[in-house]
Amino acid sequence: MSNPSWRVGLLFSQTGATAAVEQTALQASLLAIEEINAAGGVLDVPLEPVVTDPQSVPAQYGAQAERMLSAERIRLIFGCYMSSTRKITIPVVEALRGVLFYPTLYEGFEYSPNCVYTGACPNQNSIQLARYLLHVYGNRVLMVGSNYVYPYESNRIMSDLVVQGGGKVMDEIYVPVNAERRDFAKALRQIEKLKPNVVFSTVVGGATALFYESYHEAFGLERAPIASLTTSEAEVADMSAQAAEGHVTAAPFFETLGTPAARRFVGAYKARFGAQAPVPACAEAAYFQMHLVARALRRTGTDDPDLLLRELRGAEFDAPQGRVRIDSQNNHAYLWPRVARLDAQKKFQIVWNPGVRVKPDPYCVVQSLDDWSADPLTPLPA
Amino acid sequence: MSANVLRDLRDLRVQVIHPPDDEGKNLVDHLKRIGCMVEAVWPIPDAPSEQADILMLAIDFHARDPIRRLLRGHGDNGAALIAIVDYENPSTLQLVLESRALAVTEKPIRPFGLLTTIILARTLWLDRRRTRRQIEKLEAKLSGAHKIQRAKAILMQTQRMNEDDAHTTLRKQAMAKRISIEEIASAIITAHELLTTQFSRS
Repeated sequence: MSNPSWRVGLLFSQTGATAAVEQTALQASLLAIEEINAAGGVLDVPLEPVVTDPQSVPAQYGAQAERMLSAERIRLIFGCYMSSTRKITIPVVEALRGVLFYPTLYEGFEYSPNCVYTGACPNQNSIQLARYLLHVYGNRVLMVGSNYVYPYESNRIMSDLVVQGGGKVMDEIYVPVNAERRDFAKALRQIEKLKPNVVFSTVVGGATALFYESYHEAFGLERAPIASLTTSEAEVADMSAQAAEGHVTAAPFFETLGTPAARRFVGAYKARFGAQAPVPACAEAAYFQMHLVARALRRTGTDDPDLLLRELRGAEFDAPQGRVRIDSQNNHAYLWPRVARLDAQKKFQIVWNPGVRVKPDPYCVVQSLDDWSADPLTPLPA
Repeated sequence: MSANVLRDLRDLRVQVIHPPDDEGKNLVDHLKRIGCMVEAVWPIPDAPSEQADILMLAIDFHARDPIRRLLRGHGDNGAALIAIVDYENPSTLQLVLESRALAVTEKPIRPFGLLTTIILARTLWLDRRRTRRQIEKLEAKLSGAHKIQRAKAILMQTQRMNEDDAHTTLRKQAMAKRISIEEIASAIITAHELLTTQFSRS
């Protein structure tokens, strides 16, 4: 083969609204590439990352993916975060015969033969979070989210689960994606007035820390927890410890997960990018998907999308979160849902680890709480 | 209403009548991915499955004879039909119109959009069924009102009643015999027709 290197595109924003979290996915991809290359690359040829910065602007993802696939002749792209960025990239990847590896949780209801989804879909995080919240905190829930498709769909699913649990959605409030402090005033007023047991937040990116800080200023420590699927180590890094304490997130991976594989990954990441560098679930997904692809490449000897995808379907890999698998029917990953609570040092402490690997079901309209009712759940200490 | 269509998505039985080539296989795979119950059939059967809620039919002009035969077995209460088309020429469109498709999907079949197509077809089908039932009910009601009117006219003419008395008589008779006022009206009309026919014969 005349390949001087396997060139792969990394399409993660380093600037803009979601830069903090995308940066972690970028770095984790680079870490995996360095590990792969240190071990001899793929068939003695190194992986060569081609990095761009789409600046958290959806149109930029499309344009830069197009340039990678056409001008740069790259076949494999790793990237995207917000659904709007993925939606614009997938048609480009389909038309120009590439593959997108997407390491982010999202709202489901999608399948592209040219995309591999390694983040959680709703049946791998929402239902577990709802079970936990209803069991531990109560069933009066108020929702605050960024104004785009993921929060809407996420709230629809959560509302359904809350109602199944005999609870009530007190209000549903949306703020702009680039929300500033004052944009949360209405939400805080409604929380003050309606006194929910839980605030479900689908606020994403840099606005997350602003929301948690304003919430803390308004209510202090005598407050209902904010529960989220999108508040990861990356968003928490921008918060004070007091603002973060007590809040809850569900994800397949937390940097405090104590398994040997998780420790090894988090250790390597922090050694490379700094002891304070946050390692959220989407970094872990970005890391394992790169290793999965490298292994598939070793078997196929080509980055031809059809051959590579055939190799990846049904493939398993010992990821930091546990053994994952790419579903052969829908290209999404089997993952390990977990629920964690932020402690006084703003570290996620896992409070519910069902120990079950969940098959991805991206087209699940109605989730049933009953599917999870038999699992042991211990209430938090007061 | 629309929420129920989404909720019932996984209970939908979909019959796919499409050659078992790559396109057909991709279509069946994606329907399964969505979570529908799928039955794929080829060659074109004489009639669609009676259990199917959705019928996805490849409209291939070369197969127009078996398609027309199949469509003859596809009545008003049959499954919601989604036409799969590869050409937009008038002959193919004519077949699509004859099929009374509620939605269309184009070849090459892409996963994106299929869910929307199914949901729309199912919703339209449910709307149509509701409308059809409503029309049947209204037609029955209209025909009943017409009979009552006719029976009242007979009573007014033969028994020299005014309209109110004719109406009261009908209602009382219906109550006494425990049947509907339309049925008593029908009986009066039939009796009157019998009598007047006999008269004209003699």
